[in-house]
Amino acid sequence: MARVLIIEDDRVTADEICAELQRYGLDTDWVGDGETGLERARGGFYDAITLDRMLPGMDGLTLVTRLREYGVQTPVLMISALSDADERVRGLRAGGDDYLTKPFNPDEMAARIEVLLRRHAGASRPMILRVGDLQLDLIDRTVKRGDTPLDLLPTEFRLLEFLMRHSGRVLTRTMIFEAVWGYHFDPGTNVIEVHIGRLRRKLDPPDREPLIHTVRGVGYVLEAR
Amino acid sequence: MKLGELSRVSTVRLLPVYGVLFVLWSVLLIGWVQYDTKRYLSGVVDEILRQRMHYLSHIDRDRLPEAMEQTDALDLRGVMLYGLFDGAGNKITGNIQQIPDGVSLDGEVHFLPGGAQQMGAKQPVRARGLARDIGNGEVLILARATSVLDQVNTIIYRSLLWGLTLTIIPGLIGGLWLARGPLRRIRALESAAQPIMRGDLHQRLPISGRRDELDMLAGIVNSMLEEIERLMSEVKGVCDSIAHDLRTPLTRLRSQLHRMHRETIDGPHAAVLEQAILDVDSLLDRFRALLRISELEDMHRREGFTEVHLSSTLDHVREIYTPLAEDKHITFSFEVAPDVPSVRGDPNLLLEAVSNIVDNAIKFTPAGGSIHLRLTREAQAGARIDVIDSGPGIRSCERDSVLQRFYRGACSSKDVSGSGLGLSIVAAIVKLHGFQLRIVDNPAGGAWFSLSSEPGGGQLRPGAQ
Repeated sequence: MARVLIIEDDRVTADEICAELQRYGLDTDWVGDGETGLERARGGFYDAITLDRMLPGMDGLTLVTRLREYGVQTPVLMISALSDADERVRGLRAGGDDYLTKPFNPDEMAARIEVLLRRHAGASRPMILRVGDLQLDLIDRTVKRGDTPLDLLPTEFRLLEFLMRHSGRVLTRTMIFEAVWGYHFDPGTNVIEVHIGRLRRKLDPPDREPLIHTVRGVGYVLEAR
Repeated sequence: MKLGELSRVSTVRLLPVYGVLFVLWSVLLIGWVQYDTKRYLSGVVDEILRQRMHYLSHIDRDRLPEAMEQTDALDLRGVMLYGLFDGAGNKITGNIQQIPDGVSLDGEVHFLPGGAQQMGAKQPVRARGLARDIGNGEVLILARATSVLDQVNTIIYRSLLWGLTLTIIPGLIGGLWLARGPLRRIRALESAAQPIMRGDLHQRLPISGRRDELDMLAGIVNSMLEEIERLMSEVKGVCDSIAHDLRTPLTRLRSQLHRMHRETIDGPHAAVLEQAILDVDSLLDRFRALLRISELEDMHRREGFTEVHLSSTLDHVREIYTPLAEDKHITFSFEVAPDVPSVRGDPNLLLEAVSNIVDNAIKFTPAGGSIHLRLTREAQAGARIDVIDSGPGIRSCERDSVLQRFYRGACSSKDVSGSGLGLSIVAAIVKLHGFQLRIVDNPAGGAWFSLSSEPGGGQLRPGAQ
């Protein structure tokens, strides 16, 4: 079972993070200050860390920098009340793996942790992705559902690749937007919905079991159910 | 400094008025001096003549010619004219040949209209004189040339002329020169006011320290600005803290609703919960957008700016929004001019801005309409993005308002979703970059958004599509 270290000085937020991650079947440990947080994180045995940007003792940026200096590569999700784009860049540059602004949607937080866990565990990046009877070949850039080749536009291909790499995980709108286009802002519900809709029409013909599922109010998940 | 501009300065406007008044007053003053001097000198001349007449008329008739000659000897300047004539008007003695015209024998001094001619002189001179019958029909005439009076007149006129010339010409030049001072300070005030007009309320007008009218005015404006800035930050602060404080409980509410929804996924209240979650989401979206705007407005640094190729921004916009347009059966066309220079900016924010405009255009353009996205080069090495749609357009009176927070145009119907904050975000991003956003009418009907990297530069070319 994956273990997540929560470094967060606000009790309520920490409880919220713990509850949400436990719901996803993850083990959680909570520490309330930076110094202890760094010690615990160095000790290892964690698969992911959520880190508040502002902490008593040692701030999040310093902590993650130190952690990387010690050679600890545990993925870190930075959580901050500072939503500024520059803050995000600073957080990621210091060694954070992802960045989330407060107040956050717990589903979004959990989804991001899941992605980090997956990325960390599956260090090998297969060149052929398979979900059910869907197959995506990254080398010759082809997609097949069963034996039927699918003709995808470049954007659709990137979107599908992202969904397949994280199959079985809920991916939120912003996560999809960030991963597929590399921009960090909320494009609104409609944009991702329409793109997913188009992909879905190509991927899931009426006679087949659908692969892309909508998680109402959260995002999308690709899996063979 | 242009002459036309200089002529409008109040100092320069007052110059001719002051000039005319000065001339009038000088003429009046000098006229009075001249009149008074002349009167006084005439009095002196008349007194001399009367005394002389008094003296001569009491002298014995026999000794009279001799006394008259003595008088002549005393008159070094040769201004005295005198003569003794018999009843027939023949000269007995004196230095004038004949009785001057218009002489009356009343013994009073008069101005001689015809003047008096001294013997040997070429022409008569202006003179005052008196005549008297001294018995036996003989007439004694005494006159004195008024050349001194005339000279005094000339001196006075000349001094008037010189005085005026020497006062008015340097006065005019000095006035014009002085007028440049205030004009230069107005210039300084104007350039200091530019950033304020662009919304930078931290700026203040310069005060020279002379405590003159301009300083007083600048001081008034500055204290006004102070108050405006305070009020603005108060309003913004209230707005932000509401958004900020409500966001956390709303997020919690949402996750609780979400948890409930998950637990009763097939329960009787599932639909209600779903709707509640969507409503909370739209609330959160609004707060997020509000805070985003104030975050953008607070951004002052541009260190994070890089060279942005707008053509790649447009490529992304095309990629992101083409499916949306196609779903709505809107023709989405592109036109990218070659060699459009790159601009300095934040690629993320610029994409956000263009996305918002395009998103808006797609929202408001009815099915079957068209949207044209165009990137062109501006005159002075800038770039411009035009988003031209065939929707209902934006009325000219609403063009400023649509950039304000929460404003939604009259045409936005109930079924078009949106917070009314999208274009405010665009405006904030544009302002941060120092670019310019203009909204005009598409001649073919619809709205035309034009985002230019050159503020004030470039005219919109009609004939869009």
